[in-house]
Amino acid sequence: MSGNTPSSSGGVNAIINDERYRSIFYQVVVFGLFIWAVLSLIENTQINMATRKMAVGFDFLKNTAGFAVAWTPLDYKPSDSYLMVYWVGIINTLILAGISIVLATFLGFIVGILRLSKNWLVAQIASWYVEVLRNTPLLLQIIFWYLGAFANLPRPKQSIEILGFESLVLNNRGLYIPKPQPEDLFWLTAVALLVAVLIAIALNKRAARKQQQTGKYISTLVPTLLIVFGLPSVAFILTGMPLEWELPALKGFNYRGGGFVLPAMLAVMVALVVYHSAYAAEMVRAGILSVSKGQTEAASSLGLKQSFVMRLVIIPQAMRAIVPPMISLWMNVVKNSSLAIAIGFPDLVSVFMQTSLNQSGHAVEIVALVMAFYMTVSLTISACLNVYNKKIQLTER
Amino acid sequence: MTEITEQNEVSEKFVPKPSLPPPPNTTGAIGWLRYNLFDGFLSSCLTVLSLIAIGFMCVNFYEWAFAKAVLEAANRQECRITPTEFGTCWAGVKFWFTRFIYGRYTDTEIWRVNSAAIILILWMIPVWLPRVTAKLNIALSGVLIFPFLAGYMFLGGDRNWFMEIMVSVALGCFLTAIIHSLLCLFTGAGISKWIIQLTGFSNRSERLHKFPVIVFAVIIFLLSLFLISDVTFKEMPNNLWGGLFLTLVISGIGIASALPAGILLALGRRSKMTVIRVLCVAFIELFRSVPLITILFMATTMFPLFLPEGFHINKLASAIVAVCLFAAAYMAEVVRGGLQAIPKGQYEAAEAVGLTYWQSMGFIVMPQALKYMIPNIVSNFMGLFKDTTLVSIIGLYDLLGMINAVSQDPSWIGLHHEPLFTAAVIFFIGCFAMSKYSQYLERNLGAGNGR
Repeated sequence: MSGNTPSSSGGVNAIINDERYRSIFYQVVVFGLFIWAVLSLIENTQINMATRKMAVGFDFLKNTAGFAVAWTPLDYKPSDSYLMVYWVGIINTLILAGISIVLATFLGFIVGILRLSKNWLVAQIASWYVEVLRNTPLLLQIIFWYLGAFANLPRPKQSIEILGFESLVLNNRGLYIPKPQPEDLFWLTAVALLVAVLIAIALNKRAARKQQQTGKYISTLVPTLLIVFGLPSVAFILTGMPLEWELPALKGFNYRGGGFVLPAMLAVMVALVVYHSAYAAEMVRAGILSVSKGQTEAASSLGLKQSFVMRLVIIPQAMRAIVPPMISLWMNVVKNSSLAIAIGFPDLVSVFMQTSLNQSGHAVEIVALVMAFYMTVSLTISACLNVYNKKIQLTER
Repeated sequence: MTEITEQNEVSEKFVPKPSLPPPPNTTGAIGWLRYNLFDGFLSSCLTVLSLIAIGFMCVNFYEWAFAKAVLEAANRQECRITPTEFGTCWAGVKFWFTRFIYGRYTDTEIWRVNSAAIILILWMIPVWLPRVTAKLNIALSGVLIFPFLAGYMFLGGDRNWFMEIMVSVALGCFLTAIIHSLLCLFTGAGISKWIIQLTGFSNRSERLHKFPVIVFAVIIFLLSLFLISDVTFKEMPNNLWGGLFLTLVISGIGIASALPAGILLALGRRSKMTVIRVLCVAFIELFRSVPLITILFMATTMFPLFLPEGFHINKLASAIVAVCLFAAAYMAEVVRGGLQAIPKGQYEAAEAVGLTYWQSMGFIVMPQALKYMIPNIVSNFMGLFKDTTLVSIIGLYDLLGMINAVSQDPSWIGLHHEPLFTAAVIFFIGCFAMSKYSQYLERNLGAGNGR
C-alpha cells in the first residue's frame, strides 16, 4: 500500500495524493476525536458527580461493607471492608466457574461421543439434548433449575440423604457435605503427592524418549498410577492418618458443621454445566469428524494396533480442532457465571456490582474494578490459547 | 468345425444365476433395527436404557402437562386439584399470554405493534422472492428507515418535524417497495422502468430518465406526508413496552446496528493505520471480554453520568445502547472471520485494477466475505436474541421479566413453572428455526465452492 513514492514535482497535490500523509492525517483526526470524546465524557461525569454529591476515588474500598454474604469459603464478616467483598466475589466466581468448567467439559465429551454413536436412538437423544439446550436462553435455564428443582427441596428435618449417608444431605438450606480437617502432619501427604506427580512426569518423559530412540513402546500406565496413588497413601498411613472429617449434623432447625453449598449455587452450577456441555459436545463432535477417514486407514495400514490408532493418530489431530474453541467456551463459562445474580448466588457481580454499588454509590470505580477482573481472566485465557496455538502450529510441518 | 464353435459359444455363454436375496434379517425394518439399535451387546444395553429414559420422561411430562392440567381458573387458588396440591395451571398462562407477548401495552393499542410487524414482514418478503430486482435497496431501506416508522407506531404521541419527515419517508419507501415487488412479480420489470415507460420518457435519452423517477419519489413522499398528517397515535411510553415484543425490539435494534458497526470495526482492526487499529482492537477486546450483564449495569449506572447536564436517558435506551455496543464487538469478530477467508489475491487484484480502498472493499471483498459470514451472522442474531433476556435483571419487563412478574402477582403468586415452560417453548421455536435456517444457508451458499 505504501509503495506510492511521492512524486518529485512536489507541491500540495503531491502531499494530498500521497497515501502516507493521508494516513497520518486520518490518524491524527481520529486520535483527536477520541481524545475529545474521552475528555468531554470525563468532564460530564465530573460535573454530574459533583451535582449529585458523589465522592470519587478508591478510598471507599477501606470502608466497612456492613452486609452479610450468603456463601463464601473465605472468613468474611459484615464488618469487613469493601475490598474484602471484592475478594469474596472473585473467589466465589472462580470457584463456581472452575467447577462448572471441569464438569461441562467432561459431560460435553460424553455427549459429543454419544452423538457420533452408531446407535441411532442414542445419537438422536444426544442431538436433541444439544438442540434443546442451545436454543433456550441460559438465564431461563438457570431460573428453571432453581425454581423447578432446587427451590422445592424439603426442610432440614426431612432432608434427602444422598446414597443413604447421614452426613451427605440435601435440603432447602443447601447441600451439606463432610468437611476435611487436616491435622498437624498432613502437609507431608501433600508433599508426597507433589513428589509423586513429578516422578510420574519424569518417568513418562523417559519412556517417550526411549521410544523416540529405539522405537520400543514402554507402557507407563501401571507404574504412573502406582506412584501417584501409592506414595501419598504410604505417607498418609505412616504419619498416622492426620485427617479428620467434620460431619454436618442436625441441631435444632438446621444442620451445623461440615461444608455446605447453597441451593442457588447448585442450580447455577447445574445450569452452567448442562448448557455449556451442549456447546462442548458440538465442538468434540466437529473435532472428531474433522479427522479424515484416510488417517484411520493409513494408521491401520502401517500396522498400528486399534488402540494406538485412536491414541496416537486420531485424538491428537482431533484435539487440534477441539482445544481452541473449547478454551473460548471456558471463557464463556466464566462470563456466564455472572448470571448467578438472577437467583441470588453471591458472585462478583452480585455482591460487588449490585449490593456494594447500591450501598456505596461509587459506580465508576466499581464498574471499572469488576471489568478489570473479567478482562484479566479473559486476557489470561486468551494468552494461554495463543501459546497453545503456536505450539500446535509448529508441529504442523 | 462350425458345429463345434457354435457348441463352444453356447457353452461359454455366461448365464448368471439370479442373485440371492439378502439375508432376511439385514433388510427392511428388522435389518434397520439390528444395525442401528441392537448392534452388539453394548448397543442393545444403550438402546434399552434410552427407551426406559424416554418412557420415564414421557410419562412424567404427560402427567404434568395433561393429566394434572387445569384449563379454566380465575386465579392460582382455583388451580388446586386436591386441597393440598396444585394442578398444572395452564389457565394462568392463558390469562397472561397477551402480556407475555406485548408486556403492559394497552389492549386497544396492540394492533399497532402487530401492524408494524406485518409491515416489516411485507417489506422483507421480496428479498426472498427470486423474481424481484434491487433486493439490496429493499433490504437496506427496511433496516435503516423502518425503525423510524416502527418507533413512532410503538411510541405514539406528537411528532416533531424530524419524525414527521422520517415517518413519511419510511411510509413512502414501504409503498414503493411493495409496488416495485408486485410489478416485478407480474410484469418482470422494476418500478423505475415502468415509470419511464408510463411517462413516455423511454424514447428520450438516458440522461433524462432520472427525472420522472425523482418526480415519482417526491409524489410518493408528499402522498404519505398527506396520509399521516391527520393520524396521531395515543402515546405509549416505553415503560409499558414488554414481553416478547420488547425482546424483539432490543435484539432487532442490536443486530441492525451491529452489522454496520461490526463491519467498520473489523475493517479498522485490519487497517494499517496504527491509531485506528489500536482503538478498534481495544473496543472489541473490552466488550468481548466482559459479561453482558456488567455492560448492562454499567449502562444503567454510568450512562446517566456521561451525559451533559439537562439530558436524561431512560433505562430502555441505556439497555439498547449497551446491547448495541456488545453486539457490535461480537459482530466485528464475525466480519473479521469472513474477511480472513478471502484470499489475499483478491485484495491485490482489486488494488491492481486501481480501485480505491472503499471501492475494493465494497465491490470485491465484502460481497465475497458476506457469503462466508451469513451463517455466522444468523447464529449471532440467535445468540443476541437469547442474551436479550438479561435485560430482565436490570428491571426491564422483557419476556423473562414478564414471566417473573407473573409469579409476584397477588392472585397468581407462585406460578413459575408453566410460564417458564411457555417462554422456553417460544425461545426454542425462534432459535431452532434460526439455527436450521443458518444450516440451510451454509449448505446452499457453499454450493459454488463445494468439493
